[in-house]
Amino acid sequence: MNRSNLFFTLIVVAALFFSTDLSAQRRGGGNYGGGNRNVRSSANSSVNRNYNQNRNVNRNVNQNVNVNRNVNVNVNNSYHGGYYGGGYYGGGCCYHPVATAAAVTATAVVTAAVVGSIVDRPPAGCVTQVINGLAYQQCGITWYQPQMSGTTTTYIVVNPPR
Amino acid sequence: MKETAFFISSENLSTHLDLQPPAVPSGFSRTANRILVLTASLVVTALVFCASVGPHVLAKTGHQANSQGNSNIDPDAMEALNKMGAYLRSLKAFQVDSEVTNDDVLDDGEIITDNRTNTLLAVSPNLLRAELKSDEKDVFLFYDGKNFTVYGKLVNYYATVPAPATTGQLVDKVYNDYGIEIPLVDLFKWGTDDSAIRKITSAFDAGPSTVQGITCEHYAFRQEGLDWQIWIQLGEYPLPRKFVIRTLTDDARPQHSSNLVWNLAPSYNDAAFTFEPPAGALRIPLKDINSDGTQKNQ
Repeated sequence: MNRSNLFFTLIVVAALFFSTDLSAQRRGGGNYGGGNRNVRSSANSSVNRNYNQNRNVNRNVNQNVNVNRNVNVNVNNSYHGGYYGGGYYGGGCCYHPVATAAAVTATAVVTAAVVGSIVDRPPAGCVTQVINGLAYQQCGITWYQPQMSGTTTTYIVVNPPR
Repeated sequence: MKETAFFISSENLSTHLDLQPPAVPSGFSRTANRILVLTASLVVTALVFCASVGPHVLAKTGHQANSQGNSNIDPDAMEALNKMGAYLRSLKAFQVDSEVTNDDVLDDGEIITDNRTNTLLAVSPNLLRAELKSDEKDVFLFYDGKNFTVYGKLVNYYATVPAPATTGQLVDKVYNDYGIEIPLVDLFKWGTDDSAIRKITSAFDAGPSTVQGITCEHYAFRQEGLDWQIWIQLGEYPLPRKFVIRTLTDDARPQHSSNLVWNLAPSYNDAAFTFEPPAGALRIPLKDINSDGTQKNQ
């Protein structure tokens, strides 16, 4: 029954796509529910960490800048930003005044693929390149370097490595 | 203090990455049965023992200083933590599978709970392997005493950096330099001089409590910024079976909870702790959180 097998396969494949799509909706775009639901903090997972407040402040400010830069390239990193900044660094993902100010500035400057921008994933249609043993994603004239940021892979726009 | 290294692994601790968390090894069920049998008699004995000997032991360990002028600290609860820590430090190897829920707080204070599964395999003093699985990722950590690797299975990227000589040093280095918290890092802290036990401002014994069929004693502690609870197995294996940690620094008070399943006789070979890139895996840098740039070549 080749035809019915094929049909079944198509259904399974369609179901897979559909479920992938659902999960993308949940987490996709870097926040919950597809709205503007940024994570401001996460529960601590250890009682023995000497959480360093100064370090958290610095890191969170930087993280927010990154999140807002993402707006420029139309990819929202906020969920992972919160994860990175909160869960593993001991709470307090986001400093709202800083985040708000940066967001206002960022939206005023509509520039794609600024070097140093960080996104959750590169745009579609990029080509993987390996240069000096490290992976890059080349997207036209823009190069993204994947990096392990904590345990999350992010992509930072870099100058062409060659 | 002797360091104990832990690693997570799927049941198959072979060098390949296609492992999925296997069932709990047979050593565990044997242990569990023994424990169940012994528990009833040991509970009575242990309670009597703690009541009569506890304060003496506490004085010897010097933790009485904690309770100076603080009647909120029950010395028996502190002693239970010390005993658990000493026991953890005595383990040569262990595997822990944990079911974790962790709250994220949204900007408006709403709490969203994230589910994760972590597996940790550790061999003292310098082998560790972990798998961290959540809705959006499946990440493996490898430490063989020389190098530390983070491998993202879904993206098929890995990052490797040189590592310090012991697991105890590793857990702090990867946290401080790369922002990576080894799952259940507290397991490597209790019973060491690094332990935050002196920060505890309130401690009491909430009584016996059963976690996944295991009879435990349930303790509650407070320290700056955190309220936390731990369920410690009664009997000759004082293992933590459950933690709940509530963070107080955010008004929403997000909570972390872990249920732990132990295997004290994991099977593994040393190659399980050394990362071998699977086909197609590409190397990327591990971002150093203390510098603006990204480490180019490690």
